[in-house]
Amino acid sequence: MGARMTALLDVHGLSVTYGGLHAVEDVSLTVGGDAIVGLIGPNGAGKTTMIDALCGFVPHALGAISLAGRRIDHLPAHERARAGLVRTFQSVELFDDITVSENLLVAAHRPQWWSSLVDAVAPRRSSRSLDVDFALEMVGMESVAEMRPPELAHGQRRLVGVARALASHPKLLLLDEPAAGLDPSETAALGAVLRSLAAADIGVLLVDHDMSLVFDVTDELTVLDLGRVIASGPTATVKDDPAVVAAYLGGGT
Amino acid sequence: MITFRASNVLNFAHAAMGMYIAFVYYGLRNFDVASTERGGDLVLPIIGLPTHVHIVDRPTVFTALMIALVLAAVLGVVVYALVFRPLRNAPPLARVIASLGVFLYLQSVMQLRSSETGAGSASLQLKSLLTNDVMHFGGVVVPTSSFLLAGFAVVAAVVLTMVYRYTRFGLATRAASEHETGAMLTGLSPDRLGFLNWVIATVFAGLAVILVAGVSGRLDPTETSLLVVPALAAALLGGLDSFAIATVAGLAISMAQSALGTFQSRSAWLPDWLPNGGLRQALPVVLILVAISLRGAQLPTREALVEGRLAQSPVPRRPLLATLVLVGLGVVALLTLDELWRLAIVVSVIAAIIALSSVVLTGYVGQISLAQYAFAGLAAFTTAKLALNGVGFPWAPLLAIALTVAVGVLVGLPAVRVRGMTLAVATIGAAIAIEELVFNSPSLNGLTNVPRPRLFGIDLGFLGVGHENFRPEFGVLTLVALAVSGLAVANWRRSPTGLRWLAVRSNERAAAAAGINVSATKLNAFAVSSMLAAIGGALLAYELPALSPQQFMVVGALAVLALCYLGGIASISGALIAGLMASGGILTQLQGGATAKASSYQFAVSGLVLIAVVILLPDGLSVGARRLVDRVWARA
Repeated sequence: MGARMTALLDVHGLSVTYGGLHAVEDVSLTVGGDAIVGLIGPNGAGKTTMIDALCGFVPHALGAISLAGRRIDHLPAHERARAGLVRTFQSVELFDDITVSENLLVAAHRPQWWSSLVDAVAPRRSSRSLDVDFALEMVGMESVAEMRPPELAHGQRRLVGVARALASHPKLLLLDEPAAGLDPSETAALGAVLRSLAAADIGVLLVDHDMSLVFDVTDELTVLDLGRVIASGPTATVKDDPAVVAAYLGGGT
Repeated sequence: MITFRASNVLNFAHAAMGMYIAFVYYGLRNFDVASTERGGDLVLPIIGLPTHVHIVDRPTVFTALMIALVLAAVLGVVVYALVFRPLRNAPPLARVIASLGVFLYLQSVMQLRSSETGAGSASLQLKSLLTNDVMHFGGVVVPTSSFLLAGFAVVAAVVLTMVYRYTRFGLATRAASEHETGAMLTGLSPDRLGFLNWVIATVFAGLAVILVAGVSGRLDPTETSLLVVPALAAALLGGLDSFAIATVAGLAISMAQSALGTFQSRSAWLPDWLPNGGLRQALPVVLILVAISLRGAQLPTREALVEGRLAQSPVPRRPLLATLVLVGLGVVALLTLDELWRLAIVVSVIAAIIALSSVVLTGYVGQISLAQYAFAGLAAFTTAKLALNGVGFPWAPLLAIALTVAVGVLVGLPAVRVRGMTLAVATIGAAIAIEELVFNSPSLNGLTNVPRPRLFGIDLGFLGVGHENFRPEFGVLTLVALAVSGLAVANWRRSPTGLRWLAVRSNERAAAAAGINVSATKLNAFAVSSMLAAIGGALLAYELPALSPQQFMVVGALAVLALCYLGGIASISGALIAGLMASGGILTQLQGGATAKASSYQFAVSGLVLIAVVILLPDGLSVGARRLVDRVWARA
């Protein structure tokens, strides 16, 4: 019970069904406040659907989701993000029309109902704020702050995606394949960023196919196959679990 | 009435294309069997060419029908090849705008042809292809032709369902509408499929409009083209996937319309202000749109992401300076030029304010709304009515603006759940509902002699006598309104509010993930944009000598959106360019005054230019010009 009490994210019995197909079935997992938890599984195992369901992007998900002891499964996506559950996307999905720092500012800014009225008369010219600077510094992307996403290299875009998530003061980051398409040095840099998050008391749920990164940075692993949890526990134990090796890592290797 | 759909392009111009084909058919058959008139003239839809060519003397029904339908096939091919094929990978907004361009072009050219030749719907002999008999059902008289039409619809639906379900062509089409490469895997080129589908769709549209026009005895370039709204509503209810549901829904809409018509004429308890036929036109469409909206999801699914590039939205440079210079120029022009110029300036300024509302909603937030002109009209009618009932100057327009904002948010509600084309249909439905229920209301008929606006004892009225007409004081008032609106929009664009708008435009899912309340952002944009449209509308109430429903028809809204896109849908200068080019505005004045014919030409040309801009210069004239200036600047 002790672990459960301190868990930052507590998911119990999460199920997602698409027209009779169980994409995610009765999944339970917990993530601690300063832990990096890996979520792995073969293609189609339901990893991205998990993230979609946790963040409120799937309309009919069942199950209980608590963040820092507060139930959030009835909240719409943007309120879950404001509560501190922030995701990135497999395909990055930055806002292409505005600069990098504006991308972050949008995420950092918490509008009030009167904000638009104030903005009409007195627009805040400064497109930088402390949160934005902090997030850019965390991922080492200060130099591209005034560029637009289409001008960036792929690896830079991924890191900006992480920075945008950081700018909104997350308690827990859900990263959907952040290392996809990165070269080894960029992946190493990303690993360092992830570890520094844990030090800043930001929990991480990491979905990725780069096993060396996952084994390297995660404290715990949950393995999905066909929407079900087939193994879960400390990374060192799970990666040698015979069921995991058979289902995912492809036996012999 | 009868809806058809091919591949995945929702085509606003569908009924307009059918309308042209019907004009061709009835044009060919335009002779009296008993007389020696030769008929057989083919109406040409291209400006600059002769209006008619003579093909055959006294064609039979069969010959004429064949010619018309072959032409329909050609029209389908041409429109696909010139307009929609180049836009295959463009964002939905671009395709909607392009189909509006086709709509605008065909509608206004045919308007022009009708007036030039005097061969409007009134003089064409709309002889039904179907029998004129009636059938009796326990005292209710129903024309047989209605049954035949319904039968035609059902047969067509069955045939199309079979074709699309059981043939390789049909399967490939459905594969292609989901994924273009999917169709390539079946070994059929997506190009050929596109052409074929367009041919089928256009031929059916032509046939349907020929039949319907014959039965109803009405063929009007505008009215017939707008049949596309109930048709699209029905198709959307069918999920754009089921010919059966679409047909049933289409038939249900038309039956509900005639039933409601009878109901209204018999029910004495309905309030007098309801215009005749208002319920009939508005209610079924509105109901369907509500149903569609409820079915939509608040966030698009993973697959439904917008691909392609949207119009660039530049950050306004030095808006305060630009505003002061423009207002200064405007005031000087108002004080020095003659009354015709003053009128043109005021027309342009008001049009620019209304165009700004489209820039905010469609340009910044990506919500295609065709109700902006209806909002302006609502504010104009409300202002006039209030002013005539003794409400003083700043208060009447302010109340009208508040009311319009409320209606605007209401109309924006579907936007929370539907997007792209579907939203365009929903807003045009709302515009028609406002038009039918409010503008046509007998109690708002002929609002004239609106009291002059006065502030601090200064007469700000527009109308005067002789050379004093179109007074500059009112011109200054409109300039101030434009300056305030423009500055507010510039401020929004530069502030977090504007960033949220652009974020929602570029990616709703990512916006939600960044903690943005997407629904609230959209409604906020609808409120802002209906407020801008209402400011323009309230000014119109004082500018126009008399208000009539014709001034705020949906076609006007299409023209506004077209001009905005032309100028640059996502920039403030785009709205200003739209204002300059507005019918009766400064550009018209430069060309030497306005006539009805010129304005029809202007619509037709703007339809063409619109298509060209969508394909060649998606950011609009203003951004194109800005890029040119930047390049020259960099060289110097």
